[in-house]
Amino acid sequence: MTAPDPSGLVGAARHVVDGALRLYGTGPADPPTAWARAVLHDARARLDEPLRVALAGTLKAGKSTLLNALVGERVAATDAGECTRLVTWYRDAPSAAVVREDVDGRRAAVPFTRDAEGLRIDLGGIGDPGRVGRLLVDWPSRGLAEATLVDTPGLDSIRETNSRRTLSFVTPDDRPSGADAVVYLMRHAHRNDVGFLEAFADLAQGGAGGLGAVGASGTIVVLSRADEVGGGGLDAVTTAGQVAQAYREDPALRPLCQTVVAVDGLLAETARTLRQAEFSALRALARAPRAEVDALLLSADRFTAAEPPAVVAEALASDPDGVRLDEPARRRLMERFGVFGIRSATTVLRRGARTGRGVVDSPSLAEELIRRSGLGELRDTLTSRVLGRRDVHQARSALLAVDLVLGRAPRPDAGPVAAELERLLTGAHAFTEQRLLAALRQGQVTMPEGTAAEAERLLGGDGPGVAERLGLEPGADVRAAALEALDRWRTRAESPLTSRAAAEVARAVVRSCEGALRAREH
Amino acid sequence: MTDQPTGAELTELVALARRAATAYDRPDLERRLAVVARAVEDDRARVLVVGEFKAGKTELVNALLGGRALPTDAHRATTVPTVCGHGEQAGVVLVRGVESPEGSGPSVEHQSISPGALAEHVTENGNPDNRAGWSHAEATLPRPVLEGLRLVDTPGAGGLASPAAVSTMAELPGADAVLVVADAGRELTAPELALVRTAAAVSPAVVVVLTRTDLHPHWRRIADIDRGHLDRTGHDALRAVRVLPTSAALALHAAEDGDLPPETARALAEESGVEELRHLLSEVAQRRQDRRVRLATDEVLVACEQFATTFRAERDALADPARAQRIAAEVERARNRAAGLRDRAARWQQTLNDGVADLVSDIEYDLRDRLRAVITDAEAALDDTDPGKTWEQFAPWLHQQVSAGVSTNVVWAEERTRWLAEKVATHFAEDGEGVLPPVTVGASPDGAGLAADPVAMLAAPDHEKFGVAQSLMIGMRGSYGGVLMIGMLTTIAGMALLNPFSVGAGLLLGSKTLVDERKRALRRRQAEAKQAVRRHVDDVIFQAGKNSRDMLREVQRTLRDHFTTTAEELERSLSATADAARAVEADGAKRAARLADVEAELERVAALAERARRERARRSPSSSRPSRLVGA
Repeated sequence: MTAPDPSGLVGAARHVVDGALRLYGTGPADPPTAWARAVLHDARARLDEPLRVALAGTLKAGKSTLLNALVGERVAATDAGECTRLVTWYRDAPSAAVVREDVDGRRAAVPFTRDAEGLRIDLGGIGDPGRVGRLLVDWPSRGLAEATLVDTPGLDSIRETNSRRTLSFVTPDDRPSGADAVVYLMRHAHRNDVGFLEAFADLAQGGAGGLGAVGASGTIVVLSRADEVGGGGLDAVTTAGQVAQAYREDPALRPLCQTVVAVDGLLAETARTLRQAEFSALRALARAPRAEVDALLLSADRFTAAEPPAVVAEALASDPDGVRLDEPARRRLMERFGVFGIRSATTVLRRGARTGRGVVDSPSLAEELIRRSGLGELRDTLTSRVLGRRDVHQARSALLAVDLVLGRAPRPDAGPVAAELERLLTGAHAFTEQRLLAALRQGQVTMPEGTAAEAERLLGGDGPGVAERLGLEPGADVRAAALEALDRWRTRAESPLTSRAAAEVARAVVRSCEGALRAREH
Repeated sequence: MTDQPTGAELTELVALARRAATAYDRPDLERRLAVVARAVEDDRARVLVVGEFKAGKTELVNALLGGRALPTDAHRATTVPTVCGHGEQAGVVLVRGVESPEGSGPSVEHQSISPGALAEHVTENGNPDNRAGWSHAEATLPRPVLEGLRLVDTPGAGGLASPAAVSTMAELPGADAVLVVADAGRELTAPELALVRTAAAVSPAVVVVLTRTDLHPHWRRIADIDRGHLDRTGHDALRAVRVLPTSAALALHAAEDGDLPPETARALAEESGVEELRHLLSEVAQRRQDRRVRLATDEVLVACEQFATTFRAERDALADPARAQRIAAEVERARNRAAGLRDRAARWQQTLNDGVADLVSDIEYDLRDRLRAVITDAEAALDDTDPGKTWEQFAPWLHQQVSAGVSTNVVWAEERTRWLAEKVATHFAEDGEGVLPPVTVGASPDGAGLAADPVAMLAAPDHEKFGVAQSLMIGMRGSYGGVLMIGMLTTIAGMALLNPFSVGAGLLLGSKTLVDERKRALRRRQAEAKQAVRRHVDDVIFQAGKNSRDMLREVQRTLRDHFTTTAEELERSLSATADAARAVEADGAKRAARLADVEAELERVAALAERARRERARRSPSSSRPSRLVGA
């Protein structure tokens, strides 16, 4: 598979890895060399694969649910208790298969079945689950074409081994990170969450050339369970969106991620996998007297009670399509949608029925619920900031692997490879942007009054697109704005009054402006 | 709670007994009653609402109050504790300690604000990180549910920039009940479980309140899982913690939607679990009242019995001078036995001294063991990172680990201490064998064990059957293992729990230098960081070790004084009794006059005792009602 490589970074990185492979590929296979070979081969292979995106977060943050929502199918099993215990890879493949890889590298096919809840993977016969390194699920799905998704166990699990599996996958000691990008889920920004994000952004080690293991630029924070933030009311996800906005500006979180997005994972998953029967059930509910239905939706318990109030029962029984909303049916609806989901769905269906426009059938309901769940925004964000910058994320992972090898298994003849690595890491503008953005957000560089925000934006802090960088509304004159910014920042870069660190930022911003102009002309 | 005692009657009863003690020349009893008077003064139960930040604490308080009295927000959390109490007029007063300019020490500043402006002062909105420095807000609200309560809404633990966990811990000791608020959407996390554990050790009634059951269809399973977590800890105190699922949203809906038919509103309130919580709180308030009543009446009855014994002996001697010597001799024998109780060689003294020595070494070992584990973890963590860059995150983590270790240690120490106190009380009773009746201490968490047999407590001892001295002893049973002693111990343990949280200033200082010296080699920084960790932990062991030794010594002193004083009072009563019996006038006319006086005094004492008994019978006895405070 050949991936788009607009920056030429992947090609350059491939060149560096190949150089290193030639170096380490010959000679006796003593343990360090064998290790280096394995790391480099893996790095080389990754450059030709889809991007690896890990879903991480604390216990019960909704990682598996969001994974299903992103894939558009129920593949990862979910449950009210702690469910995911192993690092599980989901990758696109021509046919379905589940393979378990033990910590010693041995692989074996694992039997599995699939039901409405997701994949049931039979790990029976293994004996000691501690032996299993990871599970590889091959699944033919369009949702996995662009990125391999990796589900991870909860990070603050009381069962500590589970948390350790996740950490050693995202931030291992003896390998480059297993993930090119991380979607981090949290309920609220707890101090523990900040701790984990720091580990991913790897501010501590700095990484090669100041780039992190995954890097803040490869981390998207999701305020999951957005429906609960606002108390499950109709405006819950909107309220959660405001909270996400506040976190985006929080000095503790800003340096650690690209952005924060609010998503109701359960609703998103259900909307992506909406069934016709569910649509009919919801429509029947929307047709029933509103006050009664609202009273029924005051709590999950009321909705799933065996005997709803007589008025509702009557209304539900007299549905023109003959949909029967008996107790098991209501239970299933609650499982799939949650209180917020049912409230939202019935509201938009009622409006659709009244006006005859908007949400009138199953596909339009799914679409509206995807929008309301926040999944739409998350997918846009992922596309523009992560998948769209695949070249940068993958090149970084590969170069960090080479850097690790050169540092841990040094060779006297590694000079040329090291020099080229250095040139790329410090010279490539995409990396410079990431590094300076991190420095600005951490407050390591002090910019002249009132220019820091614009510098961040132009360096891609609000998104890598030209319009996002220039802060333009659609339809605005990009060229004029870019030229104007270029001019201003060139003056700043050349002014003798600008401090050295600030001048470095200004020069990088100038290059970014030039890049924006070029991108427009293409 | 319509028959709440106003408190004035109890205060008056104790004051009367104190005057009697002065009149009968018993300053020892007067001192004891003064302590009782102070303990009886505060008649409101303090209930804390604690939990992780954004758990829905304020929402729950609002639901309890039946309306949105306190500000809530989806994003911004509460930063200043708010104390809600009952009053006819709604009002809010902000309180903070200020250094007075004349250097006359700290004083307290009060500022009245309108209730509507509360959000500007107690949430992140208007007062982020509580920069204004308010210690708390006192809200007075005309809500009946608050009668007899002080409901404290605390800032949550674990927010991005809140050092609130420490202030939460500081509030715990002495609380009559603690509501630990957790989300019904997931099982208790490790920090939440630790909070419950600490609360259960220092407060008699702890309830885990699950919130937002309206949103989580699986709350029953979560409640079961939580129940399992609590039961598996193996602590009786934690097994007694109740898990109560609630939905503030339902309760508020029921309270605020005026269009709802009354029976629907009632059903909603019932379903929300908040109604149950209200009952539970009224029970807490009732318990506080019962305890006050029990404490006051116990002590007054004991004092009355001591007064009466002397007069009774004198009366018997006056009525029949031939018996006077016999009575005096009998009382003298009892007095000697009572004197033996004060003896250093008495068994309870041995038990106390040996027990405290053992405790000191056990507790110190436990502390070292816990903190050694923290050091191991910390060093492993430091090996992987550059402390120059991570120290600012590392330091709070370390502080939290150390604090957790220390508070667990203190809690354990507190449990062992209580156990020791019970043993000493038992031995005290056994030492005075034949003089003192057996005792049950602390059979229930608030030391209400003595009330297990309220009928025996209330009945006046039968003088004819037991003889003068013995009936005195039975009357005194409340005084050597009762509410007063347990109350004293709880306060001591609470202080010990507070102290560890003040240790940690040194750590923050250490962090400055590490961050400043970024230029040094990584290895060196790591080595220095490890050193700093060890130094800090050493400091903590030194401080906390000293604290726990001090606490135990304080416990030892308190128990020794308590029992010695009791023995002394006993002896003094008996010796006064013996004197009274001996000093019978030979002259018939004078004897008759004195007899009349004594009879009159006895009647007065009996009237006082009767009043105490009436007071007690009127108020107490909620024993027939099943308690809601104890879990299934």
